[in-house]
Amino acid sequence: MIAVPIPRSDEPTTTTKPLTLSTTPLLLCEQVSKWYGPVRGVLQVTLELRSGLTGLVGANGAGKTTLIRLITGQALPDVGRVLVGGHDARSTSARRLVGYCPDVDAFYEEMSGRQFIEAMARLCGYSGAESRRRAGAMLEKVGMTGRAERKLRGYSKGMRQRIKLAQALLHDPPLLVLDEPMSGIDPVGRAEFVTLFKELAAMGKCLLISSHELDELEKLTDHVVIMSHGRVAAADTVPRIRERLIEVPTTIRIDVTRGTNGDDHRRFAAMLMSRLLDLTALEASEPSEEIGRLLVRTRTPRHFLEEVNRLVLEEWFEIVHLKPVDESTQAVLGMLLARRR
Amino acid sequence: MAELNPVLLRYRGWRGSLSDNGATVTVLFGLGQFALLGLAAILTGYIQLATLTLFMLNFSLVVRSRAWPVARIAIEQLFCRRLFWGLYGLSLTVFLMYFFGQYLMSWAQNQLGESEVRVGAVGKVNPKWLLDFLRNALKFNGSAEMFRNFFWYETNSVMITLALSGSVLIGNDLRHGSLSFYLSKPLERWHYLLGKGLAVTGFLNLFTTLPAIVLFVQFGLLESWDYFADHSQLLFGIVAYGLVLSIHLTVILLALASWLRNTVPLVMAWMTLFAFAQGVSSALVDGLHYSPRWRLVDMWNCTFLIGNHLLSVPSEAIRPAPQPPVGEAALVLGLVGFLCLTLLILRVRAVEVVS
Repeated sequence: MIAVPIPRSDEPTTTTKPLTLSTTPLLLCEQVSKWYGPVRGVLQVTLELRSGLTGLVGANGAGKTTLIRLITGQALPDVGRVLVGGHDARSTSARRLVGYCPDVDAFYEEMSGRQFIEAMARLCGYSGAESRRRAGAMLEKVGMTGRAERKLRGYSKGMRQRIKLAQALLHDPPLLVLDEPMSGIDPVGRAEFVTLFKELAAMGKCLLISSHELDELEKLTDHVVIMSHGRVAAADTVPRIRERLIEVPTTIRIDVTRGTNGDDHRRFAAMLMSRLLDLTALEASEPSEEIGRLLVRTRTPRHFLEEVNRLVLEEWFEIVHLKPVDESTQAVLGMLLARRR
Repeated sequence: MAELNPVLLRYRGWRGSLSDNGATVTVLFGLGQFALLGLAAILTGYIQLATLTLFMLNFSLVVRSRAWPVARIAIEQLFCRRLFWGLYGLSLTVFLMYFFGQYLMSWAQNQLGESEVRVGAVGKVNPKWLLDFLRNALKFNGSAEMFRNFFWYETNSVMITLALSGSVLIGNDLRHGSLSFYLSKPLERWHYLLGKGLAVTGFLNLFTTLPAIVLFVQFGLLESWDYFADHSQLLFGIVAYGLVLSIHLTVILLALASWLRNTVPLVMAWMTLFAFAQGVSSALVDGLHYSPRWRLVDMWNCTFLIGNHLLSVPSEAIRPAPQPPVGEAALVLGLVGFLCLTLLILRVRAVEVVS
């Protein structure tokens, strides 16, 4: 395990509504485990969130949804405890602090979008007039005002996502737990959602966003919680996680100028192999007449890069491009998952 | 002679000095005790009353702010289903039959001087015969039997609606995951069930108790003001019967719906309890002449029997006969209600949104 708590002091803290929970973490999971009979949901998860945007990523069955259910008080942990604003996550006081956007589309199809949002507002305890006011405001916020009178059964996937988000925002909760909120939304809608999430984070709200689409999460936030086999495999910013993974086997692509003889890249490869004994794979190709490409897999990336530097300076090889092919969070996730297996 | 103990002397002296008015002191002491006890009782009573009032206030607040929004969604759902409109139409037809039947009876009463009157498509009939038919055969006479029959007809269609609505109200929430929307809001699990129960109760009373009260008022207005005074017990019976039906059917429906989520098993269980059991008990008692206690396996008959008792219907007017004692029917209903409530509580405690 790389890290557990996420320090959020570097996040913007311009709040429109001052949080009285500054000393208490908004979300605290302490050694939480949950089993469904013999099946492990989550195991010894410890997590602390205060504000800002946090991504929750992991493969199918990694335990994301179980963790979200525990946080939103819909499931009871077998071991450990989940506190929201210092209250047990299952208590009414805790649920007042949480806005939840589920991944399921289980609406009452015969209702219109507005009726559904108003009904959800009444469930929050608002009067009829206040429910209508809040429903109107939230529908506007998610860009559904013009389509609010249509029946839910006629909504597209994207519209449904917007309605689910609107109902989560109704009671202005400081903690928003969003399960796959951008799934099925068109690119324009995604951009709007990203802006909205960033606005909410800037207002001091804490957002925990679960997604399979890591590229989308990276547009939103650097902070990620990576889950694997029910555990938190890593929880930090992507660069920090990457930094910690520096000694993890990595595949690197090197484009070398082929030179006058046309085989400089092969000579470079031969020298690398003689100097570095830990190369597990090396593949050479010629994508063009000028460029020779090497695909190298090393167990010690730091040492490898130092040797490449030395070699270039000593032998005057011309490196056009050097890049780890697994730079993205997807690769980080893949590595982490592979490590834990 | 031994010397007297000075303490004893002092004691004797004390007794001696109060010996003349000792009885007065005793009485005063006793009255003081009673006064203190009374004061304590009043204070305790006030405290209990205050606690009860607070509880009721809190409960009504919870119902209004937490359970009612859930009930409202449930009622909207029940009225949105087109499938149910046929059943609502049936209930409305029964009510209208009784409602206009009373006007027809009133009209026939005014036509008693005539030998024949024309009644729409039926043709010409003797008003006396018509009046007898309405009063004695159809029991449009404002009696307990009329309201008993009205409840019987109405509950037939309501029971079918309830059988189908169980999965709509609760089963679908559990099956499709709509429960997430409720449980992620500041609601307790029992608020959710209370809301659903409130919806079932409201729905049931809308088709049974409320129209029965309307008929009671209508009959009083058509007959005479004395009807209200003479039949006040009947109004109590109507409300009590509605209450028994509401509580009993709501608890059973909620318990079944929370354990059997799909429509088909729920309808099957419901039909077993209220239709199959009726057939079995009828076959045993009426066919094989077993003890009338076998009718106790039929929940519907138990409620019907209690309803008859509450409406003060004479026992010889209860069909089918013979019937078991009312007390036993009440005991069976109580036990079944308790069992269902226990199952419901277990379910509420265990409920987790797990797909």
